[in-house]
Amino acid sequence: MLDVSKLLDEIQSAPYAELSIAAPHSGLVSFGELAPGGKVFGPSGPWKEKPGTLLAIIERERNKRPIYAAEKGEVMLVHEELAGTFVQAGTEIMRLRHFLSKEEVLSIILKKALHLFTAPERAKYYFIPAVDIKVKVSGPKAITVHDGMELFIMSRMKRETPLNYSGPEGVIYAVYFNHNQNMDAGQPLIGICPPDLVGAVEDAVMRVQTDWKEEE
Amino acid sequence: MSTTAHKVLVANRGEIAVRIVQACRKLGLEFVCVYTAEDAASGHVRLARELGGPKSLYRVASYHDANEILSVADEAEATAVHPGYGFFAEDYRFARRVSQRDRKLIFIGPSWRVIRELGDKINTKRLARSLDVPTVPGSDRPIYDEMEAERVARSLFEFQISQGIESPLVLVKASAGGGGMGIEEVHDPDLFRSVYRRVRNYAARQFKDEGVLIEQRIRDFNHLEVQIVAERGGANIVHFGTRNCSIQSTGLQKRVEVAPGFDPGAVAYDFDAAKLLEDITRHSLALARRVKYDNVGTWEWIVTRDGRPYLMEVNTRIQVENGVSAAIARIKGKQGVDLIAEQIRLGLGAPLGYTQEDITFEGMGIEYRIIAEDPANRFAPWVGRIEKFGWPSREWLKMHTQVPTDEPYTIPTEFDPNLALGIVWGKDISEVRQRGLEFLDSLVLEGRNATGDPLKSNIAFLREKTNRILLF
Repeated sequence: MLDVSKLLDEIQSAPYAELSIAAPHSGLVSFGELAPGGKVFGPSGPWKEKPGTLLAIIERERNKRPIYAAEKGEVMLVHEELAGTFVQAGTEIMRLRHFLSKEEVLSIILKKALHLFTAPERAKYYFIPAVDIKVKVSGPKAITVHDGMELFIMSRMKRETPLNYSGPEGVIYAVYFNHNQNMDAGQPLIGICPPDLVGAVEDAVMRVQTDWKEEE
Repeated sequence: MSTTAHKVLVANRGEIAVRIVQACRKLGLEFVCVYTAEDAASGHVRLARELGGPKSLYRVASYHDANEILSVADEAEATAVHPGYGFFAEDYRFARRVSQRDRKLIFIGPSWRVIRELGDKINTKRLARSLDVPTVPGSDRPIYDEMEAERVARSLFEFQISQGIESPLVLVKASAGGGGMGIEEVHDPDLFRSVYRRVRNYAARQFKDEGVLIEQRIRDFNHLEVQIVAERGGANIVHFGTRNCSIQSTGLQKRVEVAPGFDPGAVAYDFDAAKLLEDITRHSLALARRVKYDNVGTWEWIVTRDGRPYLMEVNTRIQVENGVSAAIARIKGKQGVDLIAEQIRLGLGAPLGYTQEDITFEGMGIEYRIIAEDPANRFAPWVGRIEKFGWPSREWLKMHTQVPTDEPYTIPTEFDPNLALGIVWGKDISEVRQRGLEFLDSLVLEGRNATGDPLKSNIAFLREKTNRILLF
């Protein structure tokens, strides 16, 4: 049985996530006014339509790409020495620390509670079109999966093969892969909530909502 | 600017990047390579580190990001871009942008106008027909509408039946696809719709374009190519002979290429093979002259068992299999022809420096594409780590690979699982076959995947096919 209290205590003892902000592509980097210790904010607004704090700008071919904070947090390190230079893709330009949000805590707990269906091989994964439409329209929880159901398309080197779900019947409670993202073998693709777990999962959601205090 | 004062940005990866770097070195040119995180262990990265001058290697987010590639070109002070094959090689917009931006660069390939003209398969068909060059029956533009697709397919079935073909077949191709990806065949008009939808969905996912082409599937044919080489301006155009690329995977990807395209001296054909090779070469040159072709390119043909040729398409780029033509070609009697070096030299504006009469051919070449895949399981790619890779060196053998031979290598899953190209030369068909088998038998290729299963490769398949080269 899932011990939500114990898990919450564990997370509470180390409630920060450290984020390395890397150049998404190569280009000329410039920083704003941020310095270590400075506060940053994630996207806001009813639809998260307002971007977070501007961290840096990477310019290539006169296209400026702003890099915004994806989460609320604090600046730990700014690689000032890179300001005004051409950086290669993947170069670390900044480091942030952020206090785990309710959603993240819930996601950590759910990963332990749900039945995880993992990637059999390193590949890109897609839902089959019939499922994909339902996920887009009604969300993953509208899908009930059962053992042997054709659920995914696995794409490696542009070659696609169907992949069947195996495991207990239940609804898709969490989706862990993104469009066009490579998933390593063993990484979870989806989290399934079988009927007998619904109570425990709802309890976990409730506990996190009430017990986890997000740091301002 | 002289043609040796250039720096070439290699906008590609793997084996072709390695060969472009080697060709640049041969020509005394500087170069700069790019690579993505997944490709950090690739041979082209290592080569750039070992042989490159300052600013010769940059990590980028994607080989597909033109902005990024060009910003690296500026930062590295490159003066020319070599697209290799795939990625930007046949993208006329990229070629145009490279040559028209504020800081202009030379695109090592045909001019963008030529790429646009021949890159459009339909336009190629139209041009070919205007020169009485035969082409495959089928749709004359990408189709986005299901009803129209069905109409075209139905008319192709009816056409084949009227031609007396007993089991007619129709091909459905992703129009933005290439390299044999996104092609399926239909034997029953009632199944057409489901295949069409599958290819369309695949095309939308992989190429972000739902357009499909529908063509008659011609069966029992050989796939031939004519290698064209031309200088800037298109005044001097020559050919470097023919190749036969008929040995392919079930997904219609080439696995073995042979030059020349047929061997009428040793193999009996139902038609005059020598004349056919002359015909397709003549047709290819005629089309090349018509568009003022101005770099390397390949004219792809299918030839039926009864000796009817159809022009399929023109690849306005260097091809994987260029080396097998080079292996049998001599310029003014000299060996060591390098078509990639020729491409760069001519792309930078140097004159051709020889005529068709100066180009001669000697012997026969086979190129093997060595791939981690399972031919018994529809050529499914094998993913894992290569632990041992090596081959004895031979004067008749050339190997091109990005896979290191002195340390393990994990195959990236982002790209085609090609590991190496082995090009074997022999004085005639029996010698080249025997050397081909000797090479395949001596090749060491071992590895394991995440679950500990041993590497699967196509070596046994290549071995089996060696005795089938140049046959129908």
